[in-house]
Amino acid sequence: MTGAALLVLTLLSQAPAYYSPQEAQAVFAEGTQAWARQDVAGARAAWERLVSRGHSSQEVLYNAGTAALAAGDVGAAVLYLERALRAGGETEDIEANLAVARSRQLDQVVGAGLERGFAQRLASATDARLCGWFALVGTWGACLLFALARLRAGRTRSVALALGALGLLLALPACALVATHAWVDRTVREGVVMAATVPVRELPQVGARVAFELHAGLKLRLLDDKEGFVRVKLPNGLEGWAAREGIEPL
Amino acid sequence: MRRIGSAAAVLALLVAAGPALAATEFYQSVDRAEVGTEDTFALTVVVSNAPDGAELRLPRGDGFEVLSKSQSTQMSYSFGSGGGSMQRMQKHTLVLRANQPGTLTIPPSVLKSDDGTLQTDALTVKVVAGNVQPDPPPRRGGMGRPPPGNAQGAPQQPGNLPDPFAGLLQGLAGMDDLQRQLQEQLAQQQEELEAEDAAIPRGDSDLFIRASLSRDDVYVGEQINYTLHIYSRLDLSSVDAVIMPKLEGFWSEDLDTPTQLSSDTKTVNGVPYRVFLLRRRALFPVTAGTLTIEPASADITTGFLFQGRRVQRKSQELTLKVKPLPAGAPAGMAPGNVGQWRLTAQAAEGQVELGQPITVRLVLEGRGNLKNVGVPPLVGPAELKIYEPTLTDTPAGKGKMGGRRVLEYLVLPQNTGTFTLPSVAFPYFDPESQRYEVSRTPPLTFTVVPGAGGPAPAAGAPTAGLPPDPGPRNVLSAGGLRPLRVAAALVPPSPPLHGARWYAWALAAPLALLALVLAGAAWSNRSRDVDAGTLRKQQARAARKRLAAAERLVSGKAETFYAEVERALLAFLESRLGEPVQGLTRGPLEQKLRAAGAKDALVAAVAQVLDTCEMGRFAPGAVSGSREKLLDQAEAAMEGWS
Repeated sequence: MTGAALLVLTLLSQAPAYYSPQEAQAVFAEGTQAWARQDVAGARAAWERLVSRGHSSQEVLYNAGTAALAAGDVGAAVLYLERALRAGGETEDIEANLAVARSRQLDQVVGAGLERGFAQRLASATDARLCGWFALVGTWGACLLFALARLRAGRTRSVALALGALGLLLALPACALVATHAWVDRTVREGVVMAATVPVRELPQVGARVAFELHAGLKLRLLDDKEGFVRVKLPNGLEGWAAREGIEPL
Repeated sequence: MRRIGSAAAVLALLVAAGPALAATEFYQSVDRAEVGTEDTFALTVVVSNAPDGAELRLPRGDGFEVLSKSQSTQMSYSFGSGGGSMQRMQKHTLVLRANQPGTLTIPPSVLKSDDGTLQTDALTVKVVAGNVQPDPPPRRGGMGRPPPGNAQGAPQQPGNLPDPFAGLLQGLAGMDDLQRQLQEQLAQQQEELEAEDAAIPRGDSDLFIRASLSRDDVYVGEQINYTLHIYSRLDLSSVDAVIMPKLEGFWSEDLDTPTQLSSDTKTVNGVPYRVFLLRRRALFPVTAGTLTIEPASADITTGFLFQGRRVQRKSQELTLKVKPLPAGAPAGMAPGNVGQWRLTAQAAEGQVELGQPITVRLVLEGRGNLKNVGVPPLVGPAELKIYEPTLTDTPAGKGKMGGRRVLEYLVLPQNTGTFTLPSVAFPYFDPESQRYEVSRTPPLTFTVVPGAGGPAPAAGAPTAGLPPDPGPRNVLSAGGLRPLRVAAALVPPSPPLHGARWYAWALAAPLALLALVLAGAAWSNRSRDVDAGTLRKQQARAARKRLAAAERLVSGKAETFYAEVERALLAFLESRLGEPVQGLTRGPLEQKLRAAGAKDALVAAVAQVLDTCEMGRFAPGAVSGSREKLLDQAEAAMEGWS
């Protein structure tokens, strides 16, 4: 009994403490006040503390990214702002600051096509949770209406059939969007270069020839993971193996 | 007229008197009794009243080297009681250098004439290794450090003479430039004096290259001048392929590279040389320690046309000691900030309208490596937007290092109010005072007012006489970072539903149910088709049973019997055709039978049975056949379908 209690206490002491809502609001306000004092480093530290404790809402991620951008850390700025996009969808201020961060990147990917495919952009522009509920309610409603139509006759049956068909018509696109979200989540893994310089090699070996070099802030696709290296792919098709510690997955 | 006449009379008297030539005098002497092997000394041979045609042979020997020769002649007249006498004296001066230590014996000079041979005494000079001549004065001229005790830091003039203008220059405000020019001139003079120290190389005394440094003990980043000269007593035609040393460990700037050969005459250890400047570079050591500068070389062509000769000469190797900057550097000190610098700020302080830019110039001027100094940036409150500066460097001029750097900042007020740009500090190390100095600009204060570009005048207000509208002052342009979010939900985003395991089942369930219902309906329709066939079979079976039951009526009432047989057959036909046939006339019934695939014999059999039954019901007496035969015919018609 005592041993179990000690084990629980040890685990709790090693796990990052979770802020209560009041404590989290206080830390958020601490960051805002530091920003008002032009203490960019203090503001960034407060918001990053919130992120590390699990309070990674879109607002916190956006503020942390903006503070990192003001501090000149392009890699962290892109990482937080991209995560803010994923946390709550595209908004004008996130897009604007992300554009500023990208303009400060060293790397310019030449010959790049669309940075994101249609499915990615569709998933980014829609709310996965809303689509999920819409698809669920639509399909169940349509089925219940069809069942009602089978049980009833006459005018009630016709109305039930029409409403059921309409519900199914609306639910099917929602189902397609849910499938798109699930596909993007499962297949599209992206990351951001965090280190100042990341050499990309032809093979996942330390001594392999360096094909090209990446710098902080560049977003890329992560295709594979092997022996401390990740296989990365740029929007223009360039591929290679980069050390895992230099890249942070989104 | 009178004066001319008097002079002519004196000359005539002299000529008439016939001046007598004095006795011959012949001797030689040296100016030093003890010399070093690196020293030069002068041998003077004097011949007075040499006979006509006399031949002078100057001393020669292996123990010394003749570096130069010169000759002068003096003539003098003397008048005495016995008349006038004339003396003609020839003086030959040889600059010599002993080849090895020991006792050097200079052979006598010999004068041969028709009257006989005269010779001087041999001379003895003690020779020691090295140099016994007094050291030249220390090389601390304008570029050097003032001697201890000179608190004013005034430049020391050559010969350690006090500078009579030092106090005056420092006492006069605004005379810094003049003082600096004077210091630079003195530095130049000091550098020229260094030529006197150039040692004449043994064996190449007529033509050699000498490299020199203005100082050999400096701090990191302190300027020294590296000069390359050609010393020559020959006629030079051209100088080609000048190879400069690599100058590793130095930041190097070219000060002077003459494109044409021009010379000055200088005397080195008593030997006159023509000195040609080859290169002059400013060096700034970047690392501390003892640094070595490798020899430079050049290909020199002497003589002209077909008598030209091309030789290569190398300079000597130079060594200098570079001291690191002392500890205790002030904050913001950049490694290249060495020299004498002054930072000033120029701006029109006072009132400025919102939206009007303010130009602030930070001016750094002085001596040192201008390209390597780091001026701290201008910073200010957030209400004053400071744009990146434009940088303009103006070098001090040819042959000088330092100059003037102007950083022109554009400051744009964002709000109204009173704002101050704080002082900018430029720390540097002054090698002359050997300490760190900080040059500061004064803080600049501006008052920003809304100005004429504020709110528009009210409607109907008189505008006559007012200056034209200057347009908007507070230009609000997009760009920069978007503002932060001041409120946050602080709830982590909910995971998407499609990530939950139950969601796929919940979404698939109604679709599967619907599919199940549709499948059930389809199966039900198919079952309905199967039942119809069974029903027809059952109906046919019932019709046969009904026909079998009619056998019991054979002996009964005729109407009942025939009606029962007719109903049994019609029921059978309905079961086969799947539709009612009651009431049909013969024609349509036969058509339906044929459409159902019945053969003509069967159709005819059915028609005969029905006709017999109809006749038996309404005219029993007209029926010819027996009832059993009718039953057989009806049964045969039914069997014909199977």
